[in-house]
Amino acid sequence: MPLLEIRNLVVRYGEIEALRGVTIAVEQGQVVTLLGANGAGKSTTLRAISGLAKPASGDIMFDGHSIAGLGPEAIVRLGISHVPEGRRVFPGLTVKENIMLGASNRKVSASQISREADAMFDLFPDIRAFSNALGWTLSGGQLQMVAVARGLMAKPRLLLLDEPSLGLAPVIVQAVFRIISQIRKDTTVLLVEQNARMGLSVADHGFVLETGRIVLGGKPDELWGNEAIAAAYLGGHAKTHA
Amino acid sequence: MDLVLQLLFTGIGIGAVYALVALGFVLIFRATNVVNFAQGEFSMVAAYLMVVFSVDLGWPYWLSFLIALAGMALFGVIFNLGVYYPLRNRTYLPVIIATIGASILLSNSVLAIYGPQPQVLQGWFDTPGIQLGPVYLDSQYLLIIGVTILLVLFNFWFFEKTLLGKKLQATSQDKEMASLLGISVSTMIMITFIYSAVLGGLAGILVAPVLFVSIQMGSTIALKAFAATIIGGFGDVAGAIVGGLALGVIETFGAAYISVPYKDGFAFLVLIAFLVFRPQGIFGERVAEKA
Repeated sequence: MPLLEIRNLVVRYGEIEALRGVTIAVEQGQVVTLLGANGAGKSTTLRAISGLAKPASGDIMFDGHSIAGLGPEAIVRLGISHVPEGRRVFPGLTVKENIMLGASNRKVSASQISREADAMFDLFPDIRAFSNALGWTLSGGQLQMVAVARGLMAKPRLLLLDEPSLGLAPVIVQAVFRIISQIRKDTTVLLVEQNARMGLSVADHGFVLETGRIVLGGKPDELWGNEAIAAAYLGGHAKTHA
Repeated sequence: MDLVLQLLFTGIGIGAVYALVALGFVLIFRATNVVNFAQGEFSMVAAYLMVVFSVDLGWPYWLSFLIALAGMALFGVIFNLGVYYPLRNRTYLPVIIATIGASILLSNSVLAIYGPQPQVLQGWFDTPGIQLGPVYLDSQYLLIIGVTILLVLFNFWFFEKTLLGKKLQATSQDKEMASLLGISVSTMIMITFIYSAVLGGLAGILVAPVLFVSIQMGSTIALKAFAATIIGGFGDVAGAIVGGLALGVIETFGAAYISVPYKDGFAFLVLIAFLVFRPQGIFGERVAEKA
């Protein structure tokens, strides 16, 4: 049984049908990457899983139970942590406070949370020095580190990562992806990326979304091998790099 | 010089009341993005609760005080569920209108019960005050200042040192993200309304012996408190406190040296000056608290 299984998911924003029957499965221990152009429905898929968007029809099964229609507070308590687009680090709280609040879905003492947050800096040494800096003072790369660290504080069984590479310098993108490949040892990851090359480099499985539908799914090698996909999403020189 | 010290004491005393109500304004504004136009009525309701328990029923002052505060906590729950919660997913406008409606309903309900005559509530202490050198320290003003200092310290501790305070701040900065982390947004807003109602209620109970207890007392205090939040910097906790104290001092000096009938006018003159020359207030709008 897959850890996460989405069947025929339809999500509407008013008149607009953002997802038109999406079906994907994520196995325990995998990193699955969702590729697609702007507006294809990648973020909406993650928002539906974490409870921010209500499904119009279809089902979302987590660990064998339907979670479609539950609110975000209930879903994160079940063990799905969503690091949304734009990082959304609380600007008026410090880095450490932001990270500590990531444990709000668990019943643990404040001192325990503080210790866990300190330990989190081992995985993210680059932001350790900014522990007491307010969120709004950080750079994009630092914000991304804080956002992922905060997401991990939930001790999720499934981590949803939305465009972690967006707007970051290449060297920072590589640092972020190094962290993702470390996380995967303990956590199942569903990753949304526009940067297909990076996204597939860490993935066990990939899906391609196009205007609210899954048009292709497979192992990274198979996706690389598909001429149409390579041309559409991986750029003209994709094959030579692959 | 003696007069200056005396006026300073009185000004800070009345300013402390504005500061408490302004703090209630700011906390609700930050949690819900809506100005609560019934904030003044929180003070008025609490003062009338004191009249009910302490004067009408003749219960001991301290007991009436505790029951009135507990009543205000309950009032905060009811206000949240009745006025804010049903409209929480709408824009700010319906919520603002609802708070104005609640304000009218509250003052007219009290009018129907107690009539237009102001009620008198005695102060906490039997001693009217103490003479300290050239300054006469009124006991009720001393109480007001003491309670305000304690509350400001509590407020700082609560929001800066506790995890719950951080969750409240997170909720006021980004509700959707807070909910993604498992923070119960509706609980955080409920806590804010309860805290704010108790703060406003405390201000009303403390100032009642200085003013009369009347249905207008709420709107008078709330207008000054609202001016204080703008002078201090809208949405800023420290600004609300400093703005409230400054306003109390300014209007007390204005009344003494310029004109007593225009006492209330000075507050608004200062407000207008700030709106023209420094609309962001004393503390400005910090980037940190913008989102």
